[in-house]
Amino acid sequence: MDIENTKAQMRKGILEYCILSILSGNSCYASDIIKGLKEGRVIVVEGTLYPLLTRLKNAGLLSYRWEESQQGPPRKYYELTPDGEKYLGELDGSWSELVESVQLLRKNKTNK
Amino acid sequence: MKITLSINLGGYSFNIDEDAYDELRAYLRKLEQHFAGEESSSEILSDIETRIAEIFRTKLTGYRQVITMQDVNEAVSILGNPEVIGESTGPSAGEKFSTPGYHRMYRDPDNRILGGICSGMGAYWHIEPWIIRVLFFVLTIAGGLGILVYLILWVVLPEARTTAQKIEMKGDPVNIENIKESVKKEVENVRKKMNI
Repeated sequence: MDIENTKAQMRKGILEYCILSILSGNSCYASDIIKGLKEGRVIVVEGTLYPLLTRLKNAGLLSYRWEESQQGPPRKYYELTPDGEKYLGELDGSWSELVESVQLLRKNKTNK
Repeated sequence: MKITLSINLGGYSFNIDEDAYDELRAYLRKLEQHFAGEESSSEILSDIETRIAEIFRTKLTGYRQVITMQDVNEAVSILGNPEVIGESTGPSAGEKFSTPGYHRMYRDPDNRILGGICSGMGAYWHIEPWIIRVLFFVLTIAGGLGILVYLILWVVLPEARTTAQKIEMKGDPVNIENIKESVKKEVENVRKKMNI
């Protein structure tokens, strides 16, 4: 078993959830999302983000508009759609359940 | 002294060293292949290009005017190599191009005597074509049915023209590996025939 791979899989699993969480209530650019994910050490390379963003947009959970920039070409400015907010709400519930379960398991382990 | 090229990356204009350009182009090509199976692949690539352009712009401060190999390598390590970017949705890269072993009957143009019907049917059922030819012959003698069936099949069955179709004819999955093998075999056959 490759522990680095297992860790990567764990991170990969929560990536969508993290992206949606970052965007909840704040619209931002892709580079801001990257910054948030890097600070949380959830993302290792930025390339992982772009296919995900596109997929979430195609699924109708995100939308973007083009923002003019004085220094160059326009940039994509992302925000959650109402569907996205709903989806996030469900993921929030799922996350809480997971955290509870894992904590319970870990507690039982130390009690043994 | 080096030659530089002028590139348009994500709408920004950059001067880039020739060797750095080759490196960058190779990287973008790898990404293109990596995302080839994905819908919206051009959008993903365009977003990545824009990001690389942003990274490059942060490099060109002060007196710096040209993008160097070091800048490209840094951008690549930030964005990540395709292997590390990891799989998007679906099946792994190798399987992306494969059909799940469709088994279709085609006419086999490579092993035909008349219309390739018997060799095609032989390939489909994995039996020698001559068995089928005998069958047709028998059917023809016993009332002419054989000829009728043969002609109908000649019209109805498509010819296996592409390598992918030839593979499907035998019922193997069509993926990069099998196509490579088939092409190799065909080249060998031609070589043998021409005694090269």
